[in-house]
Amino acid sequence: MTSADLISLLQGAAVTVALSLAAIVIGVPLGLGFAILVWRRIPLVQLIVKTYVSLIRATPLVTLGLLIYFALPAVGLQTGPVTAAILTLAINTTAFNCEIWRAGLMDFPKDQLDSAQAFGMSWPHTFRRIMLPQLARTCLPALVNEMTLLLKGSPAIAVVGIVDVTRAAVRIGANTYEPLPPFLLATALYAAIVFVFVRAQRWLERPSKLDEVRV
Amino acid sequence: MTDAADGDGDGPATLRVLGLTKTFGDNIVLDGVSLSVNKGKTVCLLGPSGSGKSTLLRCVNWLERPDQGAIFLGPTRVGFRNAGSRIPMTARELAQVRARMGMVFQHFNLWPHLTVLENIIEAPMHVLRRPRDKAVHTAETLLKRVGLIEKRNDFPSRLSGGQKQRVGIARALAMEPEVLLFDEPTSALDPETVGEVIAVMRTLSTEGRTMLVVTHEMQFARETADEIVFIDRGRIVEKSAPQLFFACPHTERARQFLQRYSVR
Repeated sequence: MTSADLISLLQGAAVTVALSLAAIVIGVPLGLGFAILVWRRIPLVQLIVKTYVSLIRATPLVTLGLLIYFALPAVGLQTGPVTAAILTLAINTTAFNCEIWRAGLMDFPKDQLDSAQAFGMSWPHTFRRIMLPQLARTCLPALVNEMTLLLKGSPAIAVVGIVDVTRAAVRIGANTYEPLPPFLLATALYAAIVFVFVRAQRWLERPSKLDEVRV
Repeated sequence: MTDAADGDGDGPATLRVLGLTKTFGDNIVLDGVSLSVNKGKTVCLLGPSGSGKSTLLRCVNWLERPDQGAIFLGPTRVGFRNAGSRIPMTARELAQVRARMGMVFQHFNLWPHLTVLENIIEAPMHVLRRPRDKAVHTAETLLKRVGLIEKRNDFPSRLSGGQKQRVGIARALAMEPEVLLFDEPTSALDPETVGEVIAVMRTLSTEGRTMLVVTHEMQFARETADEIVFIDRGRIVEKSAPQLFFACPHTERARQFLQRYSVR
C-alpha cells in the first residue's frame, strides 16, 4: 500500500462521514416532524407517513440508491451521484428516526401535557419547552444507534458511483492484489468514526441536572 | 339563561357551570350538572369514585370537552366565543381563559426537567409575559408561603409527594388565578404528608381564594368548605352547607356515602 492509497482511503472516510452527517442533519429533524404528524393523528398525512415508513423499512439501501439514481432523471430531475447518495441515506434514516421519535412521543407522560394546557401554554411552546428537552434525552441512545447503523450501511451508496471507504479499499485491493491491508484499515476507520459518535452521545448524556429527571 | 337560576350565594359568581353533560361512548359521566362558586368561597365536590367529579373539574378548563352545557368564568363563556354562540374559541383564546384558572392535579403533573422555581415561573413568564425578575420574585414569595424556599433549585424528583403538591399549589397561585381548581390534591399522597397540603389549602380558603375542590378529605370539607356538592353517577344529589350535609344529609345516597367514610 502506497501513501497515495492511504490518502484515497482517508478521502473515502471523509466522504463516508460527510454523506452520513448530511443524511443525519436532514433525517433527525425530519423524522421528528413526521413522527409529530403521526402522533397528532393528522388524517391522511399520518397514513402517508406510515406508508413511507413501512416501504422504506422494507427496502434495502442498495436498491433504494439505484432506484433514486435512475428514477429521478426519469421524472426530469438531473442529480449527481452525491445528491442521489445523500437523498438515499436521508430517506432511509428519516424513516427509522421517525419511528424512534414516535415511540418517544407515545411514551411521553400525558400528565405533563395536561398541566401545560391547563396553564395556558400554546402547543409550540409546550413542545419546545416541555416535550423536546425530555424527548431528546430519552430518544438519544436510539438515535445514535440508528446513526451508527446508517454509517455502516453507507457503503451501499457506492452503487451510484460514490467512492467511500469501502469502495476505496476494494479498489486498492484490486490494484495491489493485497486486499488485507486496505480492508483492515477500512475497518479501523469505521470503528474510529463510530467511536466518535458514541463518545458524542456519552458527552450529551453526561451526568448533569437532567440526570435527576427520572421521577 | 339567567344567573339567578344558580346563584345560591350572595357574592357574584366567579365560576358557573350550567347543565354540563359529558359522555364517554355509552357511559354518561356527567348528566346535567349545574353549580356555581362565588367569589372568595370554597366549594367541595364529594362523591364516590367514578361519580364524575374529576371529569367535571377537567371540563371546567376544557381539558375535557363537554357535550352540552355551559361554563362561565366571570363573564367569559369557556370554550365558545360568546355566551350564545356555537363558535368555538381559537387555541389562543382558550389558552387565555385557562390561564385565568389555576389547576392543582392529583399526580402533581410537575415538569421533571425543570427545577422547582422554573416550574413555577414557566407559565407566568411565557403565558402572562411577566418579566423574569418579577416572576422569580413572585415565585419566591409563594415558595416561602408553602415552606419550600430552600428547595427552589431542586428538581421535582428530589421532593416528597407532599412537597411536590405544595409546589403544584405555588405554581397554580403564581398565575394569580380567579379560581383555583383542585383535583383530588391529596389522593396520591402518603398519609403523613396529607396534612401539610391540607394546611396550605386551608390557609388559602380562609384568606378568601375562590376554590373548587374535588376531595376525599372529609374533615377538610367539613371544616373549610362554604358549600358541599355531592355527586353520584354524574348527577348532583345534594348541595348544602357542610354543617348540614355532615350532620343530617337529605338523601339516602349521601348517608351511605358518609357512613362508609366514618367507618374508616
